[in-house]
Amino acid sequence: MQWNVAERVARVRWIFLPLGLCALVAVGAHAAADVVSERVLWAVDRVDAFFDWIWSAWSFTAPLVDLVGLTQRTWFARAVALAWELAADALIAVPLLGYEERDASVEWQLARDLLRRTRSPLRLVRPVATLLVALAGAFSVARMVQGSLQLALHVWWLASLARAAVLIALLVLLVPRAAFRSLEQARTSRYRVVAAVVLAPLILAAALSLR
Amino acid sequence: MKNRLPFLELALSALCLWAGWYRTPAGALVRSVGAWLLGTRSTARPLLAYFGAGTLVPPRPPPLLAGPVPPAQALAYGAAALLDESPAAVGPRLRAAADRLGSDDAALLALFCGEDAARFAVDQARSSALDDLARALPPRSEGCIGRTAQAAMLGGAYALGWPLPATVPITSPFGVREHPLLGEMRLHTGVDLGAAVGTPVRAVGAGVVRRASSDGINGRILILDHGRGVVTTYCHNDVLLVRDGQHVDKGQIVARSGGSGRITGPHLHYQIDLAGEPVDPLRFRAQHPKTATGPTD
Repeated sequence: MQWNVAERVARVRWIFLPLGLCALVAVGAHAAADVVSERVLWAVDRVDAFFDWIWSAWSFTAPLVDLVGLTQRTWFARAVALAWELAADALIAVPLLGYEERDASVEWQLARDLLRRTRSPLRLVRPVATLLVALAGAFSVARMVQGSLQLALHVWWLASLARAAVLIALLVLLVPRAAFRSLEQARTSRYRVVAAVVLAPLILAAALSLR
Repeated sequence: MKNRLPFLELALSALCLWAGWYRTPAGALVRSVGAWLLGTRSTARPLLAYFGAGTLVPPRPPPLLAGPVPPAQALAYGAAALLDESPAAVGPRLRAAADRLGSDDAALLALFCGEDAARFAVDQARSSALDDLARALPPRSEGCIGRTAQAAMLGGAYALGWPLPATVPITSPFGVREHPLLGEMRLHTGVDLGAAVGTPVRAVGAGVVRRASSDGINGRILILDHGRGVVTTYCHNDVLLVRDGQHVDKGQIVARSGGSGRITGPHLHYQIDLAGEPVDPLRFRAQHPKTATGPTD
């Protein structure tokens, strides 16, 4: 009976595994974007100051200074961070919904072949970003599990153990799959330059958020 | 690996979906669309409130002050405004919690989220800043983190000083008014203080210079970030004495007031923003400068 349940669960892996991979990368992308949201605000301030200086030089462009005035600046900076995060989701999380599973040994072999054949660094941006963002997501999910258990049960060692177990399981079972799928898609993916512009800073941000 | 460990993979996928559902703007978007399709009300926060670890929600305007706020009591006043209690009742609890947990932000967190949550956050977070403490807590703490952040913002605003001597009059208060130069109804996002050219402008609190620039509307403008979502702005200066990224102390002379930008005459436009929303600076002062007609923008 138990084997039947396991088989039934295994049969619907094509639904939950791609969803899980997509969610893992989305969580990582948010963790990365959130960590650098203050720097985004700083960058928006610099750009806003520059354009205010330009627009205020002529009376007919002066109203543009108030377009992103002092009040809208924070809102605008967060909107930029949100747009960046959603763009990253579209580039590396959503494609994971098309994950097709093969045997682990076949996947490793295929990954090695793909890495050998991929010469352009631009093609490697998405897989590298997916790997680091998935890592950031794994740390984030594990931390949330620990926090929820700790505050619900107040058993420190159990919460820490659960965090470690979830982190290891994610690192072994989901993170490599996400990176592999991204590597697989890298050969056929389009908009490589756009992807590099969006994802290169995200790689750094994801590395900053790791812990 | 194929077809093995299906329960573990199912559990891990469910955990990832749970985390994405509650912790990301993308999850909030899906929740909102789902609620719209089902005709129900979404519990998701606004998409932009997911940054800053969810600590950037502007507080409602605090009650008017009956008397001056002692600097050491500022945080208690902020917490009391959210808890609808008296600062005298909240202050000792806050001080005791700060002694136990090692920081004011952790003490506030303990007040709103409970001692266990605060202690856990202190153990896990990178620093004692509220953003980092909030990142360590699970989704169920979302509501109390928002309230903690609002209390911290109000406390931060109560701790601020005043940029000019109290004798300098207010020539245009905060609020909707007819713009003196454009002739249209607009929110005046700060107070105008009728200071003479060259009057020293002091930092109202310790912080970092987020912007020291110049344009034809705001003139020589200075923006100071005091942390906890509290930002102050000083416009129309004659000279800026600090530069981008510089740390300033409370009371430090950061500029000299002037008549730069789009104005009717020399004055200082002073503004407080909490989580990016302008608030009336006089809400955080018991003694208000007198009001007089004079230069504005």
